[in-house]
Amino acid sequence: MDDKYLNFNSQKKQAETKIIIGGSITALGIILALIGNVNQNSLMVIGIIVAVCGFIVVMIGYGAFASLKRNFKEQILRKMFEQAMPGISYDPTRGLSEGVVYETGHLKRADRYHSEDFLGGEVDGVEFISSDVKLEERHVEHTKNGTRVYYVAYFIGRIFRFEFNKEFVGSLQVLEAGSPLHRGFKKVQMESVDFNKKFRTFTTEDITAFYILTPDIMEAIHNLERRNPGRIGLSFQGDHLYVSINNNRDTFEVQLFRKIDDSMVEEFKKDLLVIKDFIMTLKLNTNLFKIKEDKK
Amino acid sequence: MITLSLGTGAIIAIVIVALVLIVVFWFIGVMNQLRQLELKVQEAESGIDVALTKRFDMLTKMLQTTKGYAKHESETLEKVVKWRAGIPKEATLKDKEEFFNQLNQVAQGINVVVEKYPDLKANTVFMELQTAVANTEEHLQAARRLYNANVTRINTIIVTFPQSIVAKQIHMDKKPYFEAEEAKREDVKFEF
Repeated sequence: MDDKYLNFNSQKKQAETKIIIGGSITALGIILALIGNVNQNSLMVIGIIVAVCGFIVVMIGYGAFASLKRNFKEQILRKMFEQAMPGISYDPTRGLSEGVVYETGHLKRADRYHSEDFLGGEVDGVEFISSDVKLEERHVEHTKNGTRVYYVAYFIGRIFRFEFNKEFVGSLQVLEAGSPLHRGFKKVQMESVDFNKKFRTFTTEDITAFYILTPDIMEAIHNLERRNPGRIGLSFQGDHLYVSINNNRDTFEVQLFRKIDDSMVEEFKKDLLVIKDFIMTLKLNTNLFKIKEDKK
Repeated sequence: MITLSLGTGAIIAIVIVALVLIVVFWFIGVMNQLRQLELKVQEAESGIDVALTKRFDMLTKMLQTTKGYAKHESETLEKVVKWRAGIPKEATLKDKEEFFNQLNQVAQGINVVVEKYPDLKANTVFMELQTAVANTEEHLQAARRLYNANVTRINTIIVTFPQSIVAKQIHMDKKPYFEAEEAKREDVKFEF
């Protein structure tokens, strides 16, 4: 039995119960209101009142669940992450700034932006920052009943920024889907047929593509893509490598109706170790090509 | 209202002219493509020259630093390189390949010297040069791969029908690849 999660699980159960009860009351209220709409007005009013009460209970349940998620991240995940990867810091409430996200050069400006679960620090001498990001586009629909505004998410996933260990001219983007947003990029064909099939490579300087994408690195990108489901995009700009994984997932989130146990925490740890995996697989910790200045 | 009536002969003539024009435009298109690719190959070859020169300069500096520790070995290594003053203008691709392999021999020779004189590892200038040399090696490999990728593109067109007809007409032959002699690099031995 995972005693350390006992308190969280009992709080979670209470929140879930509120959501279920509230949901049932809401459903009952809606049914009453519908019946009342056909037969008698008083029943409809009662139905609406019941539905509103049910909805309030649901919201209370969700509120309690949100607070539990926050506490879980603060009390359990923060400690676990800092132990698993010394030298990093975790802030569940903060995220990457919009500027960092758009520096990737292949993610268009969002109408609604949300970012959380900030991770930053140094792993094996390589500085990085990352967070969960959600980008949404505003849509307006004109109907005969009026105008409807809604948002469609076009990116839900993780974005990483790593310190890159090679100095190069121009920029390079390796994308599974889409194309660069800025001008001056041209498509390059690498020697690997498999790599060209899976990724589209764009660069402002041909030589930069061949300098960064050595056969080893192309193989490594292939392996990383296999290990990380979703659409992956790598952008090499200045001193940094930006990685975006559009996997339609909100990482490090406790789920409703799933017990908090070691297996769930292990999954979070696995998601955390993706950072280390990128650093090791892409050999970002190799200090062969850049004379590092002393960090003070 | 003006009506145009064309005879059969005129229609045939128009079709023939149209076909000839299509062929001419296609010919010009392929020819331009080949010329542009040829330019890219030349550009990539000059990229190899730049990378080779940079590597040569770095290795020369490294040899100078090594001299303080191992004079005899450094002088022996210096003799491995054919062109002491860099790449001559008339050098062919084959010559450059040879130069490339000679530079690799020197780099490997320096590694042997480092093993023999561990004090060198404490020399910060030497260590920085070692990083720079590793970097020039990466640049050189990139330049070589870019050149070969461009050669593959142009050669594919040259050997593919019907573009091969255009290539033949403008006397364009298959371009040679820049090949590193991997086996030779591995088997290199130094006896100082």
